[in-house]
Amino acid sequence: MAKYIGLRLVQSIFVLFGLSLLIFSIARVVPGDPARAALGFLASQDQVQQMRVEMHLDKPFPVQYYYWIRNVMHGDLGKSSYTRRPVTTDLAQYIPATLELILFATLISLVFGQIMGILAGYFRNSWFDGLSRLVSYLGIATPSFVIAILLMFLFSQVFRLAPSVGRLPIMMQPPPTVTGFMVLDSLLAGQVKTALVALNHLLLPAFSLAVIHIAQEGRITRSSIVENLNKDYITMHRVHGIRTSRLVFKYLLRPSIIPTITVMGLDFAFLMSNAFLVELVYMWPGFSRYAVTTMLNKDLNAMVAVVVVMGVTFALVNLAVDIIISFLDPTIRIQRRGG
Amino acid sequence: MRNKKVLRVIVAAFALTVGFGCFVGVCATDNVAVINGYPVITADPATASDWYDTEAMYNLYSPMVYPTPDGSVRAHLATSWQAVGGDLTHWRFALRQGVLFHSGHELTAEDVAFSMTRFITMGRGNSGPLGKVTATVIDRYTVDFALEKPSAIFPETLALFFPVEKAVVLANVKQPGNYGDLGDYGEDWLSTHDAGTGPYVMVTHIPGQRLDATRFLGYFDGWSNEGWGPDEVPIERLIFIMETDYTSLMTLLKSGGLDLEINGGWTVPQLTQIQSDPMLDLSYVWAQNVTVWMNSKVAPTDDEHFRKAILYAFDYVGVVGPWEPFGNGETGIILPNMAGYVPIEPQPRAQNLERARQELALSKYANNLRDITLVYHYCGGLDFEEEVGLQLQADMAQLGVRVEVAGPPWPQYSAECSSAESTPNMTIFLFAPQAFPTYDYFMYSMFSPGGLGWIFEAHWYFDDPQLIQMLDSTRAEPNAFSRLLTYELLQPIIADHALALYPYQKPTLFAHQAYIAGPLEEIAFVGPSENMHNWRINLVMKEAAGR
Repeated sequence: MAKYIGLRLVQSIFVLFGLSLLIFSIARVVPGDPARAALGFLASQDQVQQMRVEMHLDKPFPVQYYYWIRNVMHGDLGKSSYTRRPVTTDLAQYIPATLELILFATLISLVFGQIMGILAGYFRNSWFDGLSRLVSYLGIATPSFVIAILLMFLFSQVFRLAPSVGRLPIMMQPPPTVTGFMVLDSLLAGQVKTALVALNHLLLPAFSLAVIHIAQEGRITRSSIVENLNKDYITMHRVHGIRTSRLVFKYLLRPSIIPTITVMGLDFAFLMSNAFLVELVYMWPGFSRYAVTTMLNKDLNAMVAVVVVMGVTFALVNLAVDIIISFLDPTIRIQRRGG
Repeated sequence: MRNKKVLRVIVAAFALTVGFGCFVGVCATDNVAVINGYPVITADPATASDWYDTEAMYNLYSPMVYPTPDGSVRAHLATSWQAVGGDLTHWRFALRQGVLFHSGHELTAEDVAFSMTRFITMGRGNSGPLGKVTATVIDRYTVDFALEKPSAIFPETLALFFPVEKAVVLANVKQPGNYGDLGDYGEDWLSTHDAGTGPYVMVTHIPGQRLDATRFLGYFDGWSNEGWGPDEVPIERLIFIMETDYTSLMTLLKSGGLDLEINGGWTVPQLTQIQSDPMLDLSYVWAQNVTVWMNSKVAPTDDEHFRKAILYAFDYVGVVGPWEPFGNGETGIILPNMAGYVPIEPQPRAQNLERARQELALSKYANNLRDITLVYHYCGGLDFEEEVGLQLQADMAQLGVRVEVAGPPWPQYSAECSSAESTPNMTIFLFAPQAFPTYDYFMYSMFSPGGLGWIFEAHWYFDDPQLIQMLDSTRAEPNAFSRLLTYELLQPIIADHALALYPYQKPTLFAHQAYIAGPLEEIAFVGPSENMHNWRINLVMKEAAGR
């Protein structure tokens, strides 16, 4: 297994190198003047020219890439021309906010998606199966930002049950930053009430993001459950009179959840880059929103860093999914060993 | 039966999860104002470059001179100034005594000279129009500035120059940096701290996200209650949030989570909603000039008659109609509320297709209109700019001219305007009245070959020597009244070349809770309007409103 993980990591490095080269080229080809964007409206042409030199934009492309990769090797992703701060500082600020949101969204989709999928599959063709099908179709067809606006309208404006925006109330002092995860940092600081408030702020945006995945994963789990229910070993367990709950959770769910986990892994990485509109609606100071803002402002260093971070996320999540699946499905481990 | 149990558990779990929001409420703190502005990117006076940054500057720092409602400037950090030697390249400024920095130290000529040197050396932000300036300390309260070119309006440009405390900046430079021994010149530190003399002191700043500030009791201009109501008191704590989604902002405003919105991006239905809410108010503070440049160097807008045909064909009333209750209306080369405004053609500001046809007939393209496509670009995502394009498309279709409307994203859209060849026939921009010398901004910067270029001069017309000579004369005329007369004469001359379509002036409406009062002094420029020294909070009303 260690050899396999090592091999996958080496492969990932090559992929990331190629990705950085690709996005570095694209960032420079798309129209726009990054020097002007960095200096602002009233800058003179001389100042813009001087900034181009400072940013090495007057040098040939390979030289620009050399400067960039040399700095990256030293842990320096450059300075953002949009926020005027080191890109690493920006990433450290924005990534935890989005990670916290999508982890919570993933948890919600896992719980609700699995429950819905198992029940719909086990009681297939029942009224619940029909209802879950309808909910799934609606969930898949409705964009996350529409759900976000609807939930905000209902729970924040009409019923006033949940806060509308941000990670904490505007007036509330955030806990000292340790991990960047608001709930965790509050607990680490011993501020239980702040943790609950932060959790409450997570609910609506996380649920808005989770809906589509609940629908998707629910359907996939349902199909797997239905397929596995007809297998001989399940019939055998039934004949031996094993309790339904034991049958479902021990013998049926484990093989049925494998396709869902594969999809969940991809969904997690997908959420990282696609949470933008939900982050915008809920004023969530996250990475996805930062990514779009920097791209709209042609912030070269931030653009490249953002894409590389997404690449790293995809690579790591896929690796994690492979490891989890190999634990869940012993046949995969045996195949890898050449058995 | 078991099915029902499971379902009950699911429903109960969901209700519990959502329901525990009930006990969480916003902690009410009395004397605080939550203000939404556009993202402040830099809080360093040497790199602050946009009007959004200027909003922060006017709260944390003090400019050398302060804009007045009539468009001139008055004493502020500088009490008086004069040109030395008569050629307008050498200016002497006397400083106010007893002005305190937030550290408690007094502002001196040393700080002002250091700040100007830093401003020019770093060459960012608003320093562009100043050119090269050399600062010299004459005595503790007098400083000289030597310019590379004569400028009669130099004192006015200092409305965007905000001195910093030299000792504090030098104590916080980061090595290595781009400025030798001076490292980064304190740029990094100043992005999250302040070294100013303004009415508010920065507490924290997360660039592009949030800025917290508290009232500076030692502010040199004081906190007089004159002109304010009995319960209207200075705002103790400011929280600037920086959001752009107006649906969410409306939710926040209605729930009392937002006190004041100073970016003014509301739609007509939202404005109507705010107007009808007794807990909320709208304040008209300043307007922006909606300007559609016509590129005079590419066909068919290279023909003056063709450009004039566009001006007469456009249905101004159709575009302005829905906005009219909120103060939109006619505009011209400068904004109508500025002294010396001269109305430009067409008058009255309405569509005149007959006149448009006459102008078109005089153009060199009169016989091949079918082959012509007029390209109109707006900044992608700005609906009101697209609306102008679509209106133009419909209007020009009546003359048999096709208009292609497209909204590329800002980087592409602005980069197109880097040369005459790449600039589309028509590009729309929104020009806010900067605290920067406003008349000069709307005229010299936009019509002189020595102006700001780029998006400010996307008409590319510099062929009228008389116009250029008159524009130059405004910068050489020390008498403000004579200068104003020239500005009046200039407007019809510029308008006669038909270099831009001015659909309307777009007011920036500040939406706020009824308990927020201001601005006391109506200075219709970016910066002074958002200076929270000019606003107050009525705590009695706030309490009565239960907010």
